[in-house]
Amino acid sequence: MLDTKVGTESADNGVDAGLDQAVILNLYREMVNIRRTEEQLARSYQGGHIPGACHTYVGQEAVAVGVCAHLRSDDVVFSTHRGHGHALAKGVPPRDVMAELFGKATGCSRGRGGSMHLFAPEVGLMGTTGIVGPNILQATGAGYSFKLLKSDRVSVAFFGDGAVNNGAFHEGVNMAAIWDLPVLFVCENNQYATEVPFNYATRNTEVAERARSYGIPGIAVDGNDVLAVFEAAAAAVARARTGQGPTLIECRTYRTRPHAEGMRDGGYRSIDEIASWKSRDPITALRDGAIARGIASAANFDAIDAEITAIVADALTFAMESPFPEPETATLHIYSTAE
Amino acid sequence: MASEVVMPRLGWTMETGRVVEWLKADGDEVEAGDLIFSVETDKAVTEVESLDSGVLRIPPDAPEVGSEVVVGAMLAYILTPGESLPSPANHGAGSSAHESGGREHAAAVAAASRGDTFGDNGSGRNRMPRISPRARRAAKSLGIDWTTLIGSGSSGRIREQDVLGASSTREALPTEPFTPRASPGVRRLAQERGISLGDVPANGPGGRVTRADIRAIQAPPETVPGQGVALSPTRRITAQRMAESARAAAPVTLTTEADATDLIAIRARLKAELVSIPAEPGPLPSVTDLLVKLTGQALTRHPDLNASFAEDRIVRHPVVHIGIAVDSERGLLAPVIRNAARKSLHAIAEESAALIAGARAGTTALDDLRGGTFTISNLGMFEIDAFTPIINLPECAVLGVGRVVSRPVVRDEQTEEIAVRKMMALSLTFDHRVVDGAPAARFLQTLKGMIEQPYAWLMR
Amino acid sequence: MRELTFTTAAREGLDEEMARDPSIFVVGEGIGERGGNFNTTLGLYEKYGPERLRDTPIVERGFVGMCTGAAMTGTRPVVDFMFFDFILDAFGEMVNQTAKIQYMSSGRLKMPIVLRGCIGIGGSSATHHSGNYYPIFAHLPGWRVVLPTTPRDAKGLLKSAIRSDDPVLFLEHKLLLNAKGDVPDVDTDELIPFGKAVVRREGTDVTVVGFSLMVNRALEAAKTLEAEGISVEVIDPRTVAPLDIDTILTSVHKTGRLLVVDEDFAPAGMASEISALVTEQAFDDLDAPIRRLTGVQTPVPYSPSLESALVPNAAKIAQAIRNLIAE
Repeated sequence: MLDTKVGTESADNGVDAGLDQAVILNLYREMVNIRRTEEQLARSYQGGHIPGACHTYVGQEAVAVGVCAHLRSDDVVFSTHRGHGHALAKGVPPRDVMAELFGKATGCSRGRGGSMHLFAPEVGLMGTTGIVGPNILQATGAGYSFKLLKSDRVSVAFFGDGAVNNGAFHEGVNMAAIWDLPVLFVCENNQYATEVPFNYATRNTEVAERARSYGIPGIAVDGNDVLAVFEAAAAAVARARTGQGPTLIECRTYRTRPHAEGMRDGGYRSIDEIASWKSRDPITALRDGAIARGIASAANFDAIDAEITAIVADALTFAMESPFPEPETATLHIYSTAE
Repeated sequence: MASEVVMPRLGWTMETGRVVEWLKADGDEVEAGDLIFSVETDKAVTEVESLDSGVLRIPPDAPEVGSEVVVGAMLAYILTPGESLPSPANHGAGSSAHESGGREHAAAVAAASRGDTFGDNGSGRNRMPRISPRARRAAKSLGIDWTTLIGSGSSGRIREQDVLGASSTREALPTEPFTPRASPGVRRLAQERGISLGDVPANGPGGRVTRADIRAIQAPPETVPGQGVALSPTRRITAQRMAESARAAAPVTLTTEADATDLIAIRARLKAELVSIPAEPGPLPSVTDLLVKLTGQALTRHPDLNASFAEDRIVRHPVVHIGIAVDSERGLLAPVIRNAARKSLHAIAEESAALIAGARAGTTALDDLRGGTFTISNLGMFEIDAFTPIINLPECAVLGVGRVVSRPVVRDEQTEEIAVRKMMALSLTFDHRVVDGAPAARFLQTLKGMIEQPYAWLMR
Repeated sequence: MRELTFTTAAREGLDEEMARDPSIFVVGEGIGERGGNFNTTLGLYEKYGPERLRDTPIVERGFVGMCTGAAMTGTRPVVDFMFFDFILDAFGEMVNQTAKIQYMSSGRLKMPIVLRGCIGIGGSSATHHSGNYYPIFAHLPGWRVVLPTTPRDAKGLLKSAIRSDDPVLFLEHKLLLNAKGDVPDVDTDELIPFGKAVVRREGTDVTVVGFSLMVNRALEAAKTLEAEGISVEVIDPRTVAPLDIDTILTSVHKTGRLLVVDEDFAPAGMASEISALVTEQAFDDLDAPIRRLTGVQTPVPYSPSLESALVPNAAKIAQAIRNLIAE
């Protein structure tokens, strides 16, 4: 289901028939990669293998994938507490993510971080975070670096609806605006901050409109339509790379699992609401739409499914079999020089 | 491939849960997302959805509905068409092994991070003459007894300069080690008495140490009217503590007699047996040891007597630590046997032997003198019957034990039958601020009862 | 050697580093064309331009967070925060982000960021412009905390701070800014290492450790006491994280007495930390208890008579030393 896009910029309705099969299949692969990894993490959490928290990204795959499809390895992403999707889409292998959540020494943060402190600067993942807000400021800072160093690298801040009323959003977007920094501010508006509905936290639920207050472009898209996200991100990344400054993209989406594994899902939202969003699954939407328009076949997609299933199974084995870090390493890397 | 359905972790601290109801039956087809069972934790009942599609198979040896199940334990399988149930040997082996590995690891980390939180800093402030560590070190290296010095520090503390000042008024001690001159007989005498010749002032010809010199070291210092003997540190502390106790507490002494015939008989029997055991029989428990054992248990049953008075409240101590009064050359010490209520008689006997030996040798550690909750003072060997022992503050009671004397007693009021029994005098001084007469009397009565029928209590 | 003020010497250090390394840039309020409230960047805007001397809106949390991100991505920011009190708006960033990024990334990301500005009581600046607060950061893993007391050290320590890959708090007491002192000639490129205390004055009767301005006041007191026959050794740690405890221990071994003087409050402060360390490691060297002379624990009042009552001055330090000698 490819919805019409809403926004201040004009856009095509429906699927862009110019998108070739390779792009579609790659978008599909990246989303399935996230989906299968997250499902396995949910299973592993229930099996007691994840000692800390696990905030899954199921349902929001189109946002991370649609944006990261335009990023190079040396572009940087600053993520949230719900960051597995960003990490995987930016190029962190599932085994590194899984091992990290299992607390193993082979995890991308060497067991120090867990879900909310995933780091892989080698592929431009500059951290998921346990605190809402700072990553927006840091993304602005990365934009500052890239401009000062005269590179065309781009910086992306992912954040939720829960961040847009935080001072860090205001200060970070404002600085990026006044200094024309190469930053994408991507709001994943899934309508709840833990259990607080967005329309409780603000009188103005149009996040994209806030861009106007800072004098930068803002666009709202259907966050469950990966092609819509893909298109909006393309424009924003192009602006950033050519020195035209920051963009605010609001992606309206939904998480179909609880805020964190092990937390309740009832009480603040209804089963019907969850079910209605499940029926707008971004992965099946892309697949069904592409097959209906003859861009790719079921066999293409099935092959990808099988490939990803194997990769995730391998990641699980890797995570299970990896060792825990040695206690002696607990005090390494506090400072840049060994004390 | 069969996927496992396990007891899920539904909360960060959840360790077990109960399957309340299967929402799908064994053999049903399920889709990913279907609710398949409900779980009860101490918080609530939650429905759990399936992460996989296939046929639900609940094996016959799966946990019963309603039973408490550990997180991660296997409950059922979701099979693809044509698959069969894995054999029972494979059930949950993988996940629970990893689970326990993870748990052990977590426990180890938790233990390491807990660290050492227990630190008993001792109750009493240091009331010894005040001396700085630096001055103490100087005194030691110069061989000066600083306890005789007056401190010139504004707080009365002895400082380094006071020690240096004292040393400069004496002869400078030779810096190289010297061998004291003494005849072989004198050397042997000194060795027998455990005296270092270097410590003995030598008055013999040519600077020799004589027998008289050795005897003079060991004799009590002469007291000349008008002059005094400097208080040793132990004497000073004893004086302070006794005065404090007499002044602060409200002591009342109760006395009674206990028929210790069986107790003495047990001891005699133990003695006979220990002699006949070849290797490592251990020390023979003394009468005091037996009483420590019994008193520990009596105190457990009368916790009011295992308490302290602290200005505005009474502190009950959960554990019993019994001090035993020991007479030594240095003075009166009361080293403590910890956790006396839970130690075996054997352990108490070993410990008290070590503590008494240490007290007599002057090697008792400060920690062994602190932390007692009750004290026993046995003067029976000096043919004392009842007496009024002084409470060892901040404890609230002290038991004085008198001698065991064979006397005729009336065994049966009805028949007026008389028998010769071994009677032991017991004196309990208690602090009336903390405990009233009746409870104190009840404690003493319990203890008397335990002494008179001691077998079961000594066995524990 | 030339005689420079503290501020001039520090600025010279900043200038030298910025000339050396084009990835260094300064952010703060009024540090661009205006040259900084305390002239910390006077003349640098003309040399290096607006991108490297970046004026910011009043967004302390914002620009500390922003500079944290910049330091992660190849540049070396210097945050000129003016008064330490202001930067507390960024406390969350400083504690949870800046201090922890190296650790969370297992050393794959460095944090070459300097936060510099004024601390200290004086001039009736009252309670929003007189903060010290630095022990809080010495307490945390991840921060370096630097307290220069002389112009030469200000320059050498600032250069080291900028070259360090760790986050550094560089704190300048406002009453030291115009202090004059000898500074080596230009092109000496002197770098003063962290964790190296200096004995400012040798003595035999008592060791006095001071921080920042208190070092100077202790030196004044020592001069007075010399005439009374008391020989005072004054130690300037220069950095409190890392702290050079060995120099202090060597001194206490010699003198047997220790007084720690800190303008900041006593509870949970640096004087307490040094007391604990010396007691643990030099117990038998002590001829008297370790004494702390600290600022009174109160928000800083405005009126000069109240303000001066709070802070250790030379006379109070001298009396504290006399008391310690008499103990």
